[in-house]
Amino acid sequence: MKKFVFTIIFFLALAILPFIGIDRYYMRFLTYLFMWAALAQCWNISSGYTGYIDFGPVAYFGLGAYLTSISMTLFHHTFLFSIISGAIVSVFVALIISMPTLKLKGAYFAIATFAFAESLKQVVLSFDRTFHVNFFNGSHGITLPISTNYKMFFYSMLFISFILFLLTFFIAKSKIGLALKAIGESENVSELIGINTTLNKIIVYLLSAFFISIIGGIYAYWVTYITPDDVFSVHKTVQMVIMTLLGGMGTIYGPLMGAVFLSGISEFLGAEFVENYLIIVGFIVIFIILLEPEGIYGFKKWKKYLKLKI
Amino acid sequence: MEIFFQALINGIFIGGVYAAYSAGFSLIFGVMEVINLAHGDFLMIGAFTAYWLYNLGHIDPYITIPFAGILLFFIGYFIQKFSINRVIDKPPVMSYILTFGIHLVITNLAIKLWTHDFRSVTTSYSGMNFEIWGITVPVSRFITFLLSFVIIGFLFYLLEKTNLGRAIRAVSQNKKVAELLGVDIKKIYALTFGIGAAITGIAGASISPFVILYPEMGLNYTIVAFCVVVLGGMGYIPGALIGGFILGIIQALTVTYLNAGISVAITFILLYIMLILKPAGITGKGNTV
Repeated sequence: MKKFVFTIIFFLALAILPFIGIDRYYMRFLTYLFMWAALAQCWNISSGYTGYIDFGPVAYFGLGAYLTSISMTLFHHTFLFSIISGAIVSVFVALIISMPTLKLKGAYFAIATFAFAESLKQVVLSFDRTFHVNFFNGSHGITLPISTNYKMFFYSMLFISFILFLLTFFIAKSKIGLALKAIGESENVSELIGINTTLNKIIVYLLSAFFISIIGGIYAYWVTYITPDDVFSVHKTVQMVIMTLLGGMGTIYGPLMGAVFLSGISEFLGAEFVENYLIIVGFIVIFIILLEPEGIYGFKKWKKYLKLKI
Repeated sequence: MEIFFQALINGIFIGGVYAAYSAGFSLIFGVMEVINLAHGDFLMIGAFTAYWLYNLGHIDPYITIPFAGILLFFIGYFIQKFSINRVIDKPPVMSYILTFGIHLVITNLAIKLWTHDFRSVTTSYSGMNFEIWGITVPVSRFITFLLSFVIIGFLFYLLEKTNLGRAIRAVSQNKKVAELLGVDIKKIYALTFGIGAAITGIAGASISPFVILYPEMGLNYTIVAFCVVVLGGMGYIPGALIGGFILGIIQALTVTYLNAGISVAITFILLYIMLILKPAGITGKGNTV
């Protein structure tokens, strides 16, 4: 509980930062960090507890980004209306996709979700050329109206990652959380003792799709220019997975720590040569998996430290 | 009609190539249920081995095949021995992420060494064609097509007729019983991974005369290997041949009659539908978890 209070205070402290007046650069960096913290938490909610490895969450990120952009540019709706309607459509898509997909297990689930995300990307890329319309603009992407309200993006990303933190906390402490953990341990046994495994898996899948889609929408308006190769990039999925895994899968604080750690590294190392950064990330991933598969949050010393001091 | 047959033949040739580099992926998955996300990077290393030996030593890319095979065997063997073997009993996500880490390291080291440049191996017979019944057949693709049968035939022979193959099959059928019967499982895993990597490297060297080489090429090939292996049945080696041909023909026909973009989209939609409806593949002989 101390950790929980501490984290909430930390979030509140971050919310004050723009009033103190921080550098535009740090503002941008923090917005980016909150986005990744939120995405990693989304992935953790849907996959961290059950062990169903979703390799296609970026599908909803891209969907959110595209639906928001199309709604804003073609239909001239407001930003808020666009992201929410985009998220609702994404949830419907997720509902249709989840029913057959969540029946698959292990590697098959991972590949199917990956295939789904990649199909969406390719359809968006080639839709216009195949049907001779002007809708997704293929690889040219969509340019959104420019907004210089950086504080708005800062607060919306902070708000989403805070909401997701609370959501993770309550899911982990609730009946759903217990059910998810039970599914992660053994799905057959959970079914035998009367847990509706399908329902629980679908609930978290939809929740995660909803929030990822909102984040995608905010991202689109923030960067003002989206292409299928960017918003449906498999690297986004991988980053979510790696952050969660680095921090600790199926924990409340793990994804946050993983996001802070990896975003920090990428900001300090990635600025000059992206290859160097990726080589180091690759080695970190290998070593974490081999030496400390429970993630940063699982480090024994760290745990002791947290218990003693906070 | 001539266009249709030309597309069909092109598809069969592409399919043979797909089959050659997917067989290793299928073997590795079949024996230890590891989805090797660094698979395409082995292909990339194989292709670059051929490129450097051709450019520096003027050795024909098809003659570099044994070098690529041996190099990749050792790379694969040691990767399995020192890393993947240590997480093989843990949840499968560990091995996916681990192989992805290996992919990141290999790709980016390759970028550092060889830059982002696009390269190609231009031999004296590159771009040469011959004609049968009005259908054009590129020479190098034809040789690689024949080689893919040799690769898969060799793998099939190894698994069915040798002692090592028997041990590999025993481990993939029942790990515990195999261990009781005195099979050193970790060693078999390392050897299997080495063999899988070696045939992928061989495939890489043999496609080098007609594809564009660059360090990031790996991931795309990994993705195609997914599709091929799922179509043919994961873990079932001859399935790679069937899956490769089906995918090759479908892609060639959609490229000819629709456009190149939609052919990739169709590949993935097919992969998704296949997993939902028939996860054991068209042959029905793949592993189902």
